[in-house]
Amino acid sequence: MDKIELKNLLFLARIGIEDKEHPKIIEKLTNTFDLIDEMNELDLDEVQPLNNPLELNNVSREDSDNDRNAKKNFLENSPESDEDYFIVPKIIE
Amino acid sequence: MNFKTQRENFRSKSISAKEAVQETIKKVKTDKLNIFINCFEREALSKAEYIDNNFAKFKDQPLSGVPIAHKDIFCTKDLITTCGSKMLKDFKPPYDSTVVDNCNNSGSIMIAKTNMDEFAMGSSNETSFFGPVSNPWGENLVPGGSSGGSAACIAADITSISTGTDTGGSIRQPAALCGITGMKPTYGLVSRWGMIAFCSSMDQAGPFSKDAFGCAALLDAMASHDLKDSTCSKRKNICYEKSLNDNLDNLKIGVIKNIEGFGIHENILNSYETSKTVLQGLGHELKEIDFSELSSGICSYYVIAPAECSSNLSRFDGVKFGHRSTKQKDISDLYMQTRSEGFGDEVKKRILIGTHVLSAGFYDAYYLKAQKVRRIIKNKFEEIFKDVDLIFMPTTLDQAFEKNRESSDPNRMYKEDLLTIPANLAGLPAISFPNGLKNNLPTGGQLVGNYFSEDLLLNITNKIQEVTDWHKMTP
Repeated sequence: MDKIELKNLLFLARIGIEDKEHPKIIEKLTNTFDLIDEMNELDLDEVQPLNNPLELNNVSREDSDNDRNAKKNFLENSPESDEDYFIVPKIIE
Repeated sequence: MNFKTQRENFRSKSISAKEAVQETIKKVKTDKLNIFINCFEREALSKAEYIDNNFAKFKDQPLSGVPIAHKDIFCTKDLITTCGSKMLKDFKPPYDSTVVDNCNNSGSIMIAKTNMDEFAMGSSNETSFFGPVSNPWGENLVPGGSSGGSAACIAADITSISTGTDTGGSIRQPAALCGITGMKPTYGLVSRWGMIAFCSSMDQAGPFSKDAFGCAALLDAMASHDLKDSTCSKRKNICYEKSLNDNLDNLKIGVIKNIEGFGIHENILNSYETSKTVLQGLGHELKEIDFSELSSGICSYYVIAPAECSSNLSRFDGVKFGHRSTKQKDISDLYMQTRSEGFGDEVKKRILIGTHVLSAGFYDAYYLKAQKVRRIIKNKFEEIFKDVDLIFMPTTLDQAFEKNRESSDPNRMYKEDLLTIPANLAGLPAISFPNGLKNNLPTGGQLVGNYFSEDLLLNITNKIQEVTDWHKMTP
């Protein structure tokens, strides 16, 4: 991984890390990928991927309003809100 | 005091719930190990009074009158839930998680929320925004992680039961390092609703106690079918506590061939050998099994867990809840600044790994491959369980280690989870119990069972604890 790749990754993840810290981060990530790359020694061509451990039935419920989803509760937790809206910095000048 | 005695004292009215709570709060307030993030004295006392006033209603509940500490990953209505992160240091959830709700209804009284690795990412409790937890067996030692606070809370004899979550070993590893019993149930047995998500396909909540009896009673309370979690299974109609009385004869227990080749410390191996003879003494047959695929679990886990983490943690953007930076210039900057200020180094690192393995061009090379390895591990377990009832192995490679030791070599820390991760990848239940004392520090043994065999795992652990004293060791 080089500095350009890291910058792209930081942008995708919306995480800012000071430039002077970049070499340290690259080293840490490279270390982890060295561990992960041990996977390449396995023959996986014929194996089907598994995304969930259990063959579960979907649990469905009636799609109804309930007090858990009360708008007021959620707006109260927002750093900034006004009546029915979350407030964020201006998007369009 | 162990759980059984504490509950019996309430049921026989030799101590009121209020007195039990007052005693526990005294211990929480004098804790010097940084076990707790928040203590809720007023709420606990009022709940205790309610239970005392409604004695008949709560008397026969599984956790009647017993104080409990919850890992700070479980949402508690109107009470701060931090997940060990600056991002949520003032967050008051609008609802209780199902686990907390179930425990409340079962007669327990929540005293405090326990310290943990930030967003459950860590094996030493050192990534918490609120500082590391010390192991009751040695102040310079880590208690393990990520549920380090909950495990230390039991080992330090503050509460007799506590809750934790286990994504790659976060219940079993701290249980082993603190000398207590802890169980990760089958994926889907306990509802994840209101449990802050790290890796949704592996996260599972479970109980801590000194012994299997306490874990069984707590699991009876925690497990329920929940319409609010679409991956929550319909549990067997079973009482784990009662099933401890079932007879167990002639089980076939798989032990892994050449296990010393995985880099396990000799202290752990010595305890392991001793507990193998205990299992034989109880009339069970040990059968050697081949599980050379075990070690590839680590590679798979450190792709899948960060991938799901990067997706789950994208919700923290400073808009709807949690920390918001005040330095932003525009909306994009708001996200960037908020996340940079709110997350710690380990969480940032895992988000970056996850983002990388899911990004265009790398998906097949990492994520898809990791899912294939996950299939290999699951298939291997299925093959093994055709021949044996349970698998026995150590929980960890080593005993509790010194603080700061592992931060210099993170891959070494990641590899510590070698023996716990496979059960998470396959979604299987596993229990860790104390199985010895070496150099005055506990060691842990781990039993892995087939899907929904929690009753068997708790029962056999209980039988071991009836003929041994390891679970009675105190720091």
